[in-house]
Amino acid sequence: MKKLFLIALLCVFAIGQTMASGTTEKETKSDGQAEIVYSTFSASPNHLEELNEIVSIFNEKEKDINVSVETVGWDDYFTRLDSQIAGGIAPDVFEVNYESFVSYASKDVLTSLESVQGWSEQSDKYYPKAYSAFEYGGRQYGLPETFSTSVVFYNKELFDKAGLQYPDSTWDWDQVIGAAKKINTQDGVWGMYSPIQFWEFYKKAAQNGGSLLSSDGKTVTVDAPENVEALNFMVNLIEKHGVMPTEEDLGGVSNEQAFLDGKIGILVSGIWMFDTFKDADFEWDIIVEPGLKSKACHFFANGLVMSKNTKHPEAAAKWIEFFTSNPEMVSIRMSSNWELPAIQNLELVEDYINKGNPENRKAVYDSLNYIVVPPVVEKQSKFQDVVGRAIEEVLLGTKTASEALAEADKKAQQLIE
Amino acid sequence: MLRKIFGWTMTLLFAATMVIPFLWMLSTSMKSDEMLLVFPPRFFSKGMSFGSYSKLLELYPMMRMFLNSVIVAISATTGQIVVCAMAAYAFARLHFGGSKFLFLVFLATLMIPFQVIMTPLFIEIRYLNWINTYAGIIMPTMSMRIAFGVFLLRQAFSGIPNELEESAFMDGATHLTIFRSIALPLVKASLATLLVLSFMDSWNSFLWPLLVTRDTSIMTLPVGLSSLHGRYSTEWNLVMAGAVISVLPIIMVFIIAQKQFIEGLSHSGIKG
Repeated sequence: MKKLFLIALLCVFAIGQTMASGTTEKETKSDGQAEIVYSTFSASPNHLEELNEIVSIFNEKEKDINVSVETVGWDDYFTRLDSQIAGGIAPDVFEVNYESFVSYASKDVLTSLESVQGWSEQSDKYYPKAYSAFEYGGRQYGLPETFSTSVVFYNKELFDKAGLQYPDSTWDWDQVIGAAKKINTQDGVWGMYSPIQFWEFYKKAAQNGGSLLSSDGKTVTVDAPENVEALNFMVNLIEKHGVMPTEEDLGGVSNEQAFLDGKIGILVSGIWMFDTFKDADFEWDIIVEPGLKSKACHFFANGLVMSKNTKHPEAAAKWIEFFTSNPEMVSIRMSSNWELPAIQNLELVEDYINKGNPENRKAVYDSLNYIVVPPVVEKQSKFQDVVGRAIEEVLLGTKTASEALAEADKKAQQLIE
Repeated sequence: MLRKIFGWTMTLLFAATMVIPFLWMLSTSMKSDEMLLVFPPRFFSKGMSFGSYSKLLELYPMMRMFLNSVIVAISATTGQIVVCAMAAYAFARLHFGGSKFLFLVFLATLMIPFQVIMTPLFIEIRYLNWINTYAGIIMPTMSMRIAFGVFLLRQAFSGIPNELEESAFMDGATHLTIFRSIALPLVKASLATLLVLSFMDSWNSFLWPLLVTRDTSIMTLPVGLSSLHGRYSTEWNLVMAGAVISVLPIIMVFIIAQKQFIEGLSHSGIKG
């Protein structure tokens, strides 16, 4: 037992030593460099190399700034970020997805970019709507880093078989449905598939001039007549026009798989499916999604923001600009198949646009002209639940669209209060 | 004879159920990317290699994180055993005013979920300037399990018959001597249990090290491995390789402690 005691004493001593030698926060390096800590989730695990490359290019260029990176997995990112903010040691710059952006901006933990000395308007570098998405209360708090969207895929072979012309950006939904009806007549083939769920709903509502929240985000407008019309439009693809399969019809196969198997002529899906669909044994292409009263496209985006207590706002702003719009950064992203930057200068993303498969990759960037941001409230997941349930009830036929949405509206209103 | 066969079959089945997940983990860590999610699942597939391990070592400073985990686990475990043993002895054998009440308070703290105290704890550690330091990881990790350890060991110490103590006192021993020479050896089994549980706990501790570490040079293994989970997809062979590396020390500790276990059980320590 004596030995144990001695070992124990030694360990306590060792702990005492390590206490004295731990690393403490560096705010300014000894040679006068501004330390910027950048926290991100989108780089791990596949793009750490690219991120480090971009960081070293920046550090080379800006000798008086040193950016260091903290990468965390998506699942734990916000747990840690929230603790750091509560403890007063938030990273100088951090990445947020759009939904979280709204939440952090409203809690007053960010510095607006405009308040930084020497800040100049950057809007001409980015698509205007992507730029203004990261505005809150009239101030610009962040810059768009990457985006993703959904488009309309179409199977060229099925179009040929039905003797139809390929769709283009002038088509509206009526024309699409017409084409779908013709394709539907073929054996074992469905004309089209447009998912009936929360994200599709707010997008179609926007296409119809409606929205789930008022523009200041303070009132719920879930049961607006435009929304009811939009939901009816979505459900009628199955009910009235019979051009879309139900989940039962698909028999457990995902809609993406069914498209890949050549069983669906027209599919609304995300651009992340390009990789999967490239193995299809038929030719296919994409168009920007048609609109009802006007076009509206998804905007699944990440942006970079600056924390309120950063000691080096000018340096942080420089990093944010660099990481979201610098041409070298763009080419590193393009060459490694990382997420797309929301910049206007399409020359920089030529490699992506001319990659082919699909041919019309330009439609991905064209969609940025029509984006609608997701409706975001404090209790986001409950809100999505409430609306999602209403959509399901209409699908099952237990309620009409106006009934279901009216009920959802009441519940959602309670969530906001 | 039949009973023997039955007994063996049951034991083997049980053992298999316990071991198969680990074997699966090992097998997945050696698979190549395409063969990961093959259905029906197979233990051996084409192109098995230790590639994931080398990729993991490239991507992250695995050895450093392993070392950090070792440092944290050993320090926290040692601290816990020292503190818990002494506290449990005090609660069990020293009768001071309010000991019962204090003990109940100790137990009550077991009911507080970590998430409740995690933010205030973070702020406190920040004021101590212990963020991103070994002390910042070790001290809270060690403290988290002390109530449980005290509870466990107090039970063990209570079981020592008073006669032993009394006779030692008569021979002129102090409490410290009794603690070191009589009480501790008698509760070896419980100590071994606490050692294993404590080591496992500190080794696997995730949430606290996640919050308090910022550089990969200080991160422990579970935190480092968690960033292998991408937002939309996960490379399971990498994750499993990390898990295999992570599990080896615990298995070792368990095997070592097992010996103590059995020894403690077979020696009752009361002679005549």
